[in-house]
Amino acid sequence: MFFHIVLERNMQLHPRYFGRNLRDNLVSKLMKDVEGTCSGKHGFVVAITGIENVGKGLIRDGTGFVTFPVKYQCVVFRPFKGEILEAVVTMVNKMGFFAEAGPVQIFVSNHLISDDMEFQSGDMPNYTTFDGSIKIQKDSEVRLKIIGTRVDATEIFCIGTIKDDFLGVINDPTA
Amino acid sequence: MEKNGKGVSMPKSSLKSTPSKDDSSQKSKEGRKVQFNNGGSPEERFDYSKSNGKSSSSADKGGNGSTANGKASKSKEKEPLELRLDQDRLKNAKCLMDSEAAEILQGIQDQMTLLSQDATIKLPVSFHKGLSYAQANARYTNTHSVRRVLDTLKKHGVVDGEISVIANACPETAEEVFALVPSLKSKKSILKEPLEVALMVIKPLRKVDSTSV
Repeated sequence: MFFHIVLERNMQLHPRYFGRNLRDNLVSKLMKDVEGTCSGKHGFVVAITGIENVGKGLIRDGTGFVTFPVKYQCVVFRPFKGEILEAVVTMVNKMGFFAEAGPVQIFVSNHLISDDMEFQSGDMPNYTTFDGSIKIQKDSEVRLKIIGTRVDATEIFCIGTIKDDFLGVINDPTA
Repeated sequence: MEKNGKGVSMPKSSLKSTPSKDDSSQKSKEGRKVQFNNGGSPEERFDYSKSNGKSSSSADKGGNGSTANGKASKSKEKEPLELRLDQDRLKNAKCLMDSEAAEILQGIQDQMTLLSQDATIKLPVSFHKGLSYAQANARYTNTHSVRRVLDTLKKHGVVDGEISVIANACPETAEEVFALVPSLKSKKSILKEPLEVALMVIKPLRKVDSTSV
């Protein structure tokens, strides 16, 4: 789910960036440092929408660097347990399938896929119902529920299920 | 799947029940639960345990398995409320519907084309993925109206996170909402009518999608 949140960060700036464009340099450094990163608490920082406040700089002892506390608003994407998401399938194998929702990867184990679906190997591996009416393959859109999340250094990885009510394939690319 | 390749361990007894999909009746009886440890502990593994979330089973292997199972029953209770609990962690965070996020991110991208004179400012990959995801799931023609309608549910105790999930899921009926957001089930009697009304109001605001089933 997307959130609009205010975060704070201490930015260190080298004296070469001081001068008229100090604030602009600070903002571009903030964008370079923060956009695209991921943390466990906030999730993926997708984009910075504005700077709320830049505090007074503090010169660090021994070096000429100055630390500025910056408060900024940003859009973050963080999946939660119990959340319902629509994701696009990226890979199917006999253990289950991988899907992507925004910057987040979700894995759905074959144990969390309906019992009436079976894995079919081949050029285009897929999960199909016994009567062949529903298929999950690469580029299918599925609605799934997140049942667990794990945060790595740079990304969030989730486990999902499609075994509950109102979950499953939304859109079949071959249809 | 290198991340999870470290330790995929399965208790020996549960191996008997896994081999083929023909054991569907056995499967439904056992009600297996796949558990994924939260928090990135060093020994992350899938525990296939015969648990309905109520009691630990004898199929556990060692201490880790039993603590994990103890966790399983707790997490099953926690799970429906997770959306609410985590709201406390993200204080001052405003939940965005996918449509709202799409509008914001599109605005930023339009701005970036103006600022593209500075070649060092590049939009990260997660931005493009986030934008295309939000645009694909932006289902409403008028986001503000949808937000106003769904905010009326707040007075019945529905939190921001739940409202966003309802908006993103585009449910047809109140029953679907209660199935997708289990934390609302406790207030089913109070919420059913206002939900039906709200869903009826926002239905005409949905974008017509020719590819949807």
